[in-house]
Amino acid sequence: MKIIVCVKQVPEIADVQIDPETGTLIREGVDSILNPFCEYAVEMALGIKRQHPETETVAMSMGPFQAKAALMRCLEMGIDRAVLLVDKRFAGADTWATALTLAEAIRTIESRFDLILAGKQAIDGDTAQVGPEISEILGIPEIMYGVGLELRNNKKKIRVTREIETGNEIVETRLPCLISVSKGPMIRSISSFQEILDARNKELRLVTADDLAMDAHKLGLKGSFTQVVKIFPPRVKKQGEIFDGSDAHAAAHKLTDFLSSRRFI
Amino acid sequence: MLSVDRDKCTGCNICEKVCPFGAIVVIDGKAQVQDNCTLCGACVTSCPVGALSIERRQIPQDELDAFSGVFIWGECEQRAETLIPKKVVKELLSQGRLLADKLHQDLTVITLGDHRLTGLDSLFAHEADRVIRCQHKLLGRYEPDSFTLVISAIITKYMPAVFLFGATPNGRELAPRIAARLRLGLTADCTGLDINEDGQLVQTRPAFGGNIMASIVSPFTRPQMATVRPNVFPLAQPNKPKKRRIDDFQISLSKALFRTKVVATHRLEADGEASIEDADVIVSAGRGCQNKENLSLIQELAVALGGVVAGSRAIVELDWIPHTKQVGQSGLTVAPQLYIAIGISGAIQHLVGISSARTVIAINNDPDAPIFKVADLGIVGNALEILPVLIRDLKNRASAPK
Amino acid sequence: MHEITTETLPIVDFSKVRCIKGYAELCQNYELYLCDESRLAHQGAECLFFPASEAEISAIFTEMGKRGITVTLSGARTGLVGGAVPYGGALLSLERLNKVLGIRYDVGSREWIVRAECGVLLRDLNNWAMKKTFPGLYERASNETRASLKHYKETKETFFYPPDPTEMGAALGGTVATNASGARTYRYGATRDWVRRIRVILASGEALEIPRGKYFATPEGEFTVVHSTGVETAVKIPQYAMPQTKNAAGIFSAPHMDLIDLFIGSEGIFGAITEIEIALHEWESPVSIVQFFSSDEKAIDFVISLRKEKSIHPEFIEFYSSHALDLLRKKQATDPKVIGMPPIPDDARSAIFFDLRFDPEKKEHDYSLLEEIVISCGSSFSRSWAAYELRDLQRFKDFRHVLPETVNSIIAERKKEMPELHKLGTDFAVPDRALKEIWEFYKSKLEATGIEWLAFGHIGNNHFHINLLPKSLNEMEHALSLYREFASKAVSLGGTISAEHGVGKIKQEFFSIMFSDRERDEMKAVKRALDPGHMLNPGNLFAL
Repeated sequence: MKIIVCVKQVPEIADVQIDPETGTLIREGVDSILNPFCEYAVEMALGIKRQHPETETVAMSMGPFQAKAALMRCLEMGIDRAVLLVDKRFAGADTWATALTLAEAIRTIESRFDLILAGKQAIDGDTAQVGPEISEILGIPEIMYGVGLELRNNKKKIRVTREIETGNEIVETRLPCLISVSKGPMIRSISSFQEILDARNKELRLVTADDLAMDAHKLGLKGSFTQVVKIFPPRVKKQGEIFDGSDAHAAAHKLTDFLSSRRFI
Repeated sequence: MLSVDRDKCTGCNICEKVCPFGAIVVIDGKAQVQDNCTLCGACVTSCPVGALSIERRQIPQDELDAFSGVFIWGECEQRAETLIPKKVVKELLSQGRLLADKLHQDLTVITLGDHRLTGLDSLFAHEADRVIRCQHKLLGRYEPDSFTLVISAIITKYMPAVFLFGATPNGRELAPRIAARLRLGLTADCTGLDINEDGQLVQTRPAFGGNIMASIVSPFTRPQMATVRPNVFPLAQPNKPKKRRIDDFQISLSKALFRTKVVATHRLEADGEASIEDADVIVSAGRGCQNKENLSLIQELAVALGGVVAGSRAIVELDWIPHTKQVGQSGLTVAPQLYIAIGISGAIQHLVGISSARTVIAINNDPDAPIFKVADLGIVGNALEILPVLIRDLKNRASAPK
Repeated sequence: MHEITTETLPIVDFSKVRCIKGYAELCQNYELYLCDESRLAHQGAECLFFPASEAEISAIFTEMGKRGITVTLSGARTGLVGGAVPYGGALLSLERLNKVLGIRYDVGSREWIVRAECGVLLRDLNNWAMKKTFPGLYERASNETRASLKHYKETKETFFYPPDPTEMGAALGGTVATNASGARTYRYGATRDWVRRIRVILASGEALEIPRGKYFATPEGEFTVVHSTGVETAVKIPQYAMPQTKNAAGIFSAPHMDLIDLFIGSEGIFGAITEIEIALHEWESPVSIVQFFSSDEKAIDFVISLRKEKSIHPEFIEFYSSHALDLLRKKQATDPKVIGMPPIPDDARSAIFFDLRFDPEKKEHDYSLLEEIVISCGSSFSRSWAAYELRDLQRFKDFRHVLPETVNSIIAERKKEMPELHKLGTDFAVPDRALKEIWEFYKSKLEATGIEWLAFGHIGNNHFHINLLPKSLNEMEHALSLYREFASKAVSLGGTISAEHGVGKIKQEFFSIMFSDRERDEMKAVKRALDPGHMLNPGNLFAL
């Protein structure tokens, strides 16, 4: 069985701040990390591998050369090998062009796969589009918001527990398929020093547009259907009153006054 | 491609400073574009000498003009024994009306369902010009394969210029499936939609967790597709419907089409319990509440104020509350009249989810918590001490003679 | 040269210095300024000054000297021994002296040197140094400084200020006055090793500018301070030998010592340190490792072997004893997020937390020497946690800090029942050779009592903290006597009773274990010479 995990490197959003004067992102000191939802997908793949040790796991990402670090993290966690789609011509890709390139890479160089796992969304873009787009391009079924899975019928079928608006449901489909993952362990796992050293000896393959034999006009910005035309800082709400609540009674009194003045009570 | 006109470039460093991705570096007095450029265009608008430009593909106008009309997916939910359009559909109608009027085009809702499909009058009351209805016994519940197929077929037949989806869990699955099938541009989670002078849909959405806003167009593909989060656009008052035009779309479906099958469903919410998306008063808990047992205080306060309980991503991860009650970028966007955040520090992703709340009260013991920046009233203190007093005061008040 | 001449400072109007007056006003609205992290009960103050310049400090000292009012100096109040807690008199906050004044490259020592006022916080200093931007420096700097700032920004390497007393909210001046140290002292030494120049305002209101390497004690152990009035003061340095460990107890003394070292670590009793030049060091990306072992003794063997292997250079070596891991496990079961780590492996009976240079980009890594040591101590690299991403380095650091916090919260719970209870935490260090002996001594005594205890901390410097968590007043008394016994043992092995927290106002009892009456008299003589009116920091080091 072969599992492909599609991952993305993202900036650590919690650290991103806006320069109040220029209204632009302050990028100094902001780290790049493996997207947390992608890390959940990796955990899920490794969970299957623990149950079925013969499973081969591959992490795949499209991004600049620096995105190697996110793949390295996957290898440290226990993924067997990694593929980085890296080419100037991939730059500026929207979700469609990204999905097309990843799907093309899967079709061309990792064709015999059984399962694709992806994070529910990336924390920098939050679009949640690439997963379903890949499944559509590859013509395989897809299940979103997976939180748990179980292989059945001699690994021909899969049952996925997924989050829905009112709770959870269990959905069954046949392999190969794509599952987007929305939950993982409460605490991020840590590798041993041995795993960190071993990861550096695993295969990390670099793949360019030429390797995929894709036309340049399908790639990156040229292949994108959407274009960003403007970037601007969000409107900032005016800060209200701040009250020192070290005295619980005074604070409760302040709250009831406020609620009553706004007619909530 | 982002290109630099080296003759015009003065090496003033402004582009280097405004680039959100650090993709421009001034070397030897001239701007140079790095590999990580995403062509977002922030530099182009800020260059004082117009030395930067992005080459973008063009498509003949008459090809695009063949597409007309603003379409909305009329996602339905089950209520008792009926299927009725969700609230977000009406929110989309209010905004869709403005877009359709600017384009001088019609506003259409597509609804899929089985014989239980009803409530279409409410769509006309929210100013839909037309409803396209597709009824089939296999469309009784949302399923990605069949819905992708039907809506793709409708789009191909009717050729709308704009197609909007609610960014509900289903909408966020369905929209990219259709976009990929029909090779269309798609923008997720829009918070602003407008029509520019070229008649293009300008889709504005938060990026980087809400730290920055981006305006996006889909110049080459029609329809221009976007998803919009529930509770982002205000719900207009219903009017008395002027017209009522329903077109039935006929289709034959077979079970073989369905590749996924729901085996079991577990409701995590009690029957009839209001979704936090629809609540007027929300009392929301974060990690500052320290443990699951303390949520009883949150519950008590919610009851005293006639509201519901919600929470941050942190406590959903701790399994204190189900994901159906999670507020924020990876949860739900809420729009209550009153939002009380207790022990929530207010990560940017959380703040995005409450930007539609009318009044925000925050209680947190960290005076530097970002939640205070958006609070109408911020209490710096220990919520676990304040809440019992507050709940008692509220109860006394309620039982006191008027 | 052993003779130093004072500078007089411009005269400013004392009445213009920002000042909050009134005992009641301070106790009511400025209580924050009356306390530090020691939670020592203050005795209030009559007024609180916020000077903005050396000249204002000088004016305050002159005026208080005339009126016979004592002055307690206060920085960021992060100290653990009450150094900044006033015992009456005036309180002087140095928080407004918070600017970076310059940066230069010293060709002789080949290091970047930053000049900053005493109120700059370590956190800021390090951030600015690493990001290579010092707010406002360019605007107020001379052309020469501007040129070096530009040069600094253009260097490829990243630099940082190595002393890291854990509490990065500390003010630079405070860390110099207390010779602060911490985990990284293992590799980089204490604050003393990084100070290149200081300016001090003496109680007389005059200033001294003291670069390192200029003023040395005579063979008889004397300095001479020549005052602006022409009067000469002889300062006779103490004759005792310092412990061969990292140490924060007592005035520094050594034959031919540098005058700058007399002030570093003097807990502010000789003067107010207003400006400091510190050296930066190149920052290289590390990997943090928590290596698990099957017993406390195996972990200690590992530390001893690791220190012997001179080709391996950890920045710090920290210890989690068996009981410390158990405490964390217990906390993990109830509140895993607070611990922030995956479950501690069941077979881990102790752990050593250390770091190494590590380039994540590199493919080939040779850690075979380290691996041999790990294996010889019965463990393997597979039985470790390791990480190098910045967010994880922070996570590991937090995992270290959560330990004392957990201890404090347990004690706080017990205090609810029994208010007299408190934690006892040692700050003793011994020389390298005594590590095994002191551990065995501690352990045998502690295991015999049945009192809950654990050990953690800077084992690289043989400076781990023993924490005793008594459950009853009986145990509490027993613990106190053990504590005294441990202090004597540490001193008898050539160690110190306060390796990093200092003496201040709350460790004087143990101070007397370490220094004889005569030795403390020698310290007092220095105090008399430099601050004859006993105006500055009353109660620090010596009881009132």
